[in-house]
Amino acid sequence: MSNIHIDPLEKRWLWSIGGMLAVFWGVQIYFAAAENLHPPSNVETIDSAKLHLEGEFAEENLGVKKEADGSYTVTMVAARYGFYPQEIEVPANTPVKLRIASFDVLHGVHVPFSNMNTMVVPGYVSEVHTQFNTPGSFPMICNEYCGLGHDYMYSKLHVTAGKS
Amino acid sequence: MNNTTIKTVVGAAGLAAAMMMTQVMASEHAAAAGKSPSTNVAWTADMVRFVASGDKERGAKLSQDMFCASCHGNAGIAPSANWPSMAGQRAEYTFKMLKDYKDGKRMATNTADPMVALAKMMSEQDMADLAQFYASFDLPELPKGVSFDAEQGAKVKPIIARGDGKRLVAPCQSCHGSNGEGAVTDTPALAGQTPDYFIKTMQEYKSGARHNDVYARMRLIAKVLTDEEIVQMAHYYAGMTAK
Repeated sequence: MSNIHIDPLEKRWLWSIGGMLAVFWGVQIYFAAAENLHPPSNVETIDSAKLHLEGEFAEENLGVKKEADGSYTVTMVAARYGFYPQEIEVPANTPVKLRIASFDVLHGVHVPFSNMNTMVVPGYVSEVHTQFNTPGSFPMICNEYCGLGHDYMYSKLHVTAGKS
Repeated sequence: MNNTTIKTVVGAAGLAAAMMMTQVMASEHAAAAGKSPSTNVAWTADMVRFVASGDKERGAKLSQDMFCASCHGNAGIAPSANWPSMAGQRAEYTFKMLKDYKDGKRMATNTADPMVALAKMMSEQDMADLAQFYASFDLPELPKGVSFDAEQGAKVKPIIARGDGKRLVAPCQSCHGSNGEGAVTDTPALAGQTPDYFIKTMQEYKSGARHNDVYARMRLIAKVLTDEEIVQMAHYYAGMTAK
C-alpha cells in the first residue's frame, strides 16, 4: 500500500494533531505525577434516595471527625444546591479523608488550590484522601452540571494553620 | 456450573452478607445517637410511583369527609390568609407533609396540631389520593380580601433570580421554579400562596420550629435572610398568579 496518496495538507494536519495529542498527554502525565491528580478509585454503592434515613450520611452523622491516628474524616452530602454541612473546618498539613455522597443527581466537588476534585455520582460514595497545605477559607464548588442552581452550588472549607 | 459462575455466586452472597451487616450496624448507630431523620419519606422509584398512582376522585371524596375544605377551600384555595392554599401543589409535597404530620416530624408549629390529628387517621393511600386531588387544580389565586404589594415583591427579585453567594443562598427559583411552580420531587409550589402563610412558614424554618427539610436546606437559607426580605419574598410569590 506504499502507493497510497496523502495530500501534503492532510499530512500537515496529521502531524499537528499528533503534536496536540502529545502535548495533552504530556500535561496529563505531568499533573498526575507532580500534582497527584488522579481519578478517584473508590467503588462503594449506596442508596441515594434513602441517604438521610440512617447510617453514615444521616443528618446527625455528617461533619468532621478526628481519628485516633490524628487524621481527619469528613463526611458530607451533596444535594441541590449545596454541600452539607455548609461550613467545615480542618487543620492544614494533616491527612484528610473526604467521604461524599449525592442525595439527588450527579454533582462534583472541587476545592481551588488543592487536588480535591471528584465526581459525586448518585448511588456511589466518593472517597478522596488528601491534605490541605494552605491555610485560609476556600469554596467547595460543584463542577458537574446538576440543574438550574448549579452555578450557585458551593459551600465553605476553612483550613486552619498548623496541626491541632 | 463452571468456576466463574461459582465465584460470582459466592461473591454475591458475601457482598449481600456484608451489606446486611452494614445495615444492622448503621441502624444500631442511629438508635444509639438517639436522633431520627427529619422525614421518613425517601423518594425511591417505588415511592414516586406510589404517589403518582393516587386516585384524585377518591381524594376529592376524602377531602369532603375529612373537612379539608373548611380551612383549605373547596378547590384548594384557602378562604382566609391563615391557612395555606393547596391548589396546584405538587403531589409529592402534599404527600410528604401529611406523612410528616403523621410521623411527628412536623410538630410544634402554629398550624400543626389539627393536621397531626387528621393525618393520624389517614393511610398512605389516603395521603396519595388527597395529594393527587389537590395537584389536579391550577396554581391558586389569592383568597378574596387578601392582597399583595407588587412593589415590595420587586425589591427581592435579585435574590429570587440570582441568590446571594456571600450568604450561601441559592436563587429561590433554581429549586422552586421561575413561575413558583415547584419542582421534582417534593420542592413545593409557592405561587399564589398567601403572604401571611409564607411569612409564617419562613419564620418557622428560621427559628427551627419547623425542621422536616432534609439536611436543613430551607432552615439554612431562612436563617440568613432578614425579616424584611422574607416579607418581600412573600409578596413576590403571592403576586405570581395575579391576573
